[in-house]
Amino acid sequence: MITADFRAKAEKEWQKITNPSIPQIFIGMATCGEAAGALSIYKSIESTLMKNHIEARIHKTGCLGMCYCEPMVDIIKPGQPRITYRNLEPETAAELITDYLVNNNYRTDLALGAWGEAIDGIPNLFEIDFLKYQERTALKNIGVINPEDISQYIARGGYKGFEKALCTQQDEIIDEVEKSGLRGLGGAGFPTGFKWKECRKTESYPKYLICNADEGDPGAYMDRSLLESDPHSVLEGMLIAAYAIGCSRGFIYIRDEYPLAIKRVRTAIEQMGQYELLGENILDSGFNFDIEIREGAGAFVCGEESALLASIEGNRGMPRHRPPYPAESGLWGKPTDINNVKTLANIPAIITNGAEWFADRGTGSSKGTAIFALTGKVANRGLIEVPMGITLRKIIFDIGGGIPNGKEFKAVQTGGPSGGCLPAELLELPIAFDSLAVAGSIMGSGGMVVLDEDTCMVDVARFFLDFAKQESCGQCIPCRLGTKQMFDILDDITKGKGRQTDIDMLLELSESVAHTSLCGLGRTAPNPVLTTLRYFQNEYEAHINHKRCHANVCRLLVEEGNIDE
Amino acid sequence: MNKIRFSINGQQFDADQGATIMQVALENHIYIPHLCYNADLVPGGVCRLCMVEVNNEKIVLACRTLAENEMIVKTNTPEIDAAIRPVVELIIADHHFTCRECPANGKCELQKIMAHLHIDRRRIDNLRPPKNKLPLETLTPFLYYDPNKCVRCGICVQTCEKIYGASHIYFVNRGYETKIACFESAAHCDFCMECVKKCPVGVLIPKTE
Repeated sequence: MITADFRAKAEKEWQKITNPSIPQIFIGMATCGEAAGALSIYKSIESTLMKNHIEARIHKTGCLGMCYCEPMVDIIKPGQPRITYRNLEPETAAELITDYLVNNNYRTDLALGAWGEAIDGIPNLFEIDFLKYQERTALKNIGVINPEDISQYIARGGYKGFEKALCTQQDEIIDEVEKSGLRGLGGAGFPTGFKWKECRKTESYPKYLICNADEGDPGAYMDRSLLESDPHSVLEGMLIAAYAIGCSRGFIYIRDEYPLAIKRVRTAIEQMGQYELLGENILDSGFNFDIEIREGAGAFVCGEESALLASIEGNRGMPRHRPPYPAESGLWGKPTDINNVKTLANIPAIITNGAEWFADRGTGSSKGTAIFALTGKVANRGLIEVPMGITLRKIIFDIGGGIPNGKEFKAVQTGGPSGGCLPAELLELPIAFDSLAVAGSIMGSGGMVVLDEDTCMVDVARFFLDFAKQESCGQCIPCRLGTKQMFDILDDITKGKGRQTDIDMLLELSESVAHTSLCGLGRTAPNPVLTTLRYFQNEYEAHINHKRCHANVCRLLVEEGNIDE
Repeated sequence: MNKIRFSINGQQFDADQGATIMQVALENHIYIPHLCYNADLVPGGVCRLCMVEVNNEKIVLACRTLAENEMIVKTNTPEIDAAIRPVVELIIADHHFTCRECPANGKCELQKIMAHLHIDRRRIDNLRPPKNKLPLETLTPFLYYDPNKCVRCGICVQTCEKIYGASHIYFVNRGYETKIACFESAAHCDFCMECVKKCPVGVLIPKTE
């Protein structure tokens, strides 16, 4: 067990931060914050504190998921609640420090919200629209704690799930996960408990556990934010999974384009080692487990689990035939369980609070919460965790604050290159694995890109096929040539060179590529074409027949169209 | 070895247990379209053309599916045709046709598939051919490689690796740009010609001088 002493010490430390004797300053320093200028905010705050001889403690936290408010800073002044400030610049950050810490002026104009009751014109942070409708469980720590300090994670109940798991029969843990109804949040939505059970059943050793953090959908950054802001929740999930299945070695496969996430996971793994949460005889339980980081080399297809296995083995990242499934024969031919970052981050809470607690939320076959990266033409962009079954309208208009600049909503793209575009008629659609599939899209790993009236749907399909064409592994013929051919046809349509036969051709090719491709990438690559054809066929026809792009995106079309006529 | 009995297109066949549908079909002169299958190699299952229907329900790859007793295999249903015909058309649209000068002319697997499926060249005109013709590449000191004709079936790669244990050549790049290239070790290629013989479409051209 993590000694009671240590947990008490961590909790006491945390008390000192949340109920401090000197001001505590939290700066959001995940990749998103840094990109928005958090580093210069940090320097500005540091020098202002020095200049004014203010004694304060600065914490680097992850991101609260509110990209539209970055860079963000939280301040706890002794006797005051934590107050979050938004969209700071080095100058306003310096002013904030002197005004609030020296002169007791809340700077309501810069504040976003207070943690708890509203004060002095600053609203309760969790009552503002962006957070009000969210239910954060997997994301409960992001932006709250310092991701590089394991004791802050432990103080907030961290590793309690693992401790409980160690006192539970392995089969019971798997039963609990199965009962919770948790499904893989990486895209396919396969029941997690079933996967674990299959892997546990296979009589072959050693067994491996892999966390798939090779997030690559355009516009999706859920896994990155989670790993940068709360790596221990994922690592604890891995520990529980490994213990339940009987894995002795784990890998976390992170794409190389996420250097900060890699750094923070590395730090987290080192700290776990210091507290005997990794290695041999973990917490005196007799359970041995180690986690290694593997960095992806930039291939999107390596997020496909069998290509990921090939990549870890040192081979070219090409998907394999299934069956056999990784649970029977995975890494180096041994039973392997592969789960997504978000799936694993849900595990500690399920074990701590029980399956019923988890299954209480959501719909019939989609339990719990879904995590989305809400981006595109929407006012409040960011990372959200919402109960399954919430409608698209609630996400886009209530949480997201609608479409900026008075534009009309046109479509929402879910599931990245494997997903589809859903039109305004489907705004009341409840978000769940099955409902999205019926509509022609997929839940995917959580990318949600909002498109407004200025978007050309043919151009959107072209964009995703361009992506699929470049990211296909090139192994199987339908995917390699089909995505290229569909891209060429779409490219021609957007340039005014569409032919009367093109729509039928696209439909035929889509069907064929979807049915004959070897792996999920090829099988789902036609989805952007199929959904845009299903809901926006008039735009294709306008391009082909009238050389007209309603959104005025395909400029070449207009010019060349005129020349043709 | 245990014998099994199953049917292909209504005809009954006896076969050894452990044989794939493809093996039995080819032995009995029933043609199933294929590019990446070679009897001497592990079935790659990447050309995706050898789809057959099993027991009136599932569509599977003939090259990777073992024949089972009392199995009902069909090689020519409308569903299979709808699935693979566009794939063949894609290959043809992408393939650089200079059949008359091609060393594989007459024994080319792609020509065979086109004849078997009665491919309609007019439908291929609806597709977009590649924009550029790529130059011949030197693969080994003895071989040219024609990326315009290559179907990326991987037979040459597997031949070099599995049969000769040499691995002079492998896939490079990704997506549409995927092609075959050589390692430095290709300087030691001893010109066994097996990859040339096994290539289904005449992509590997021995240097004459």
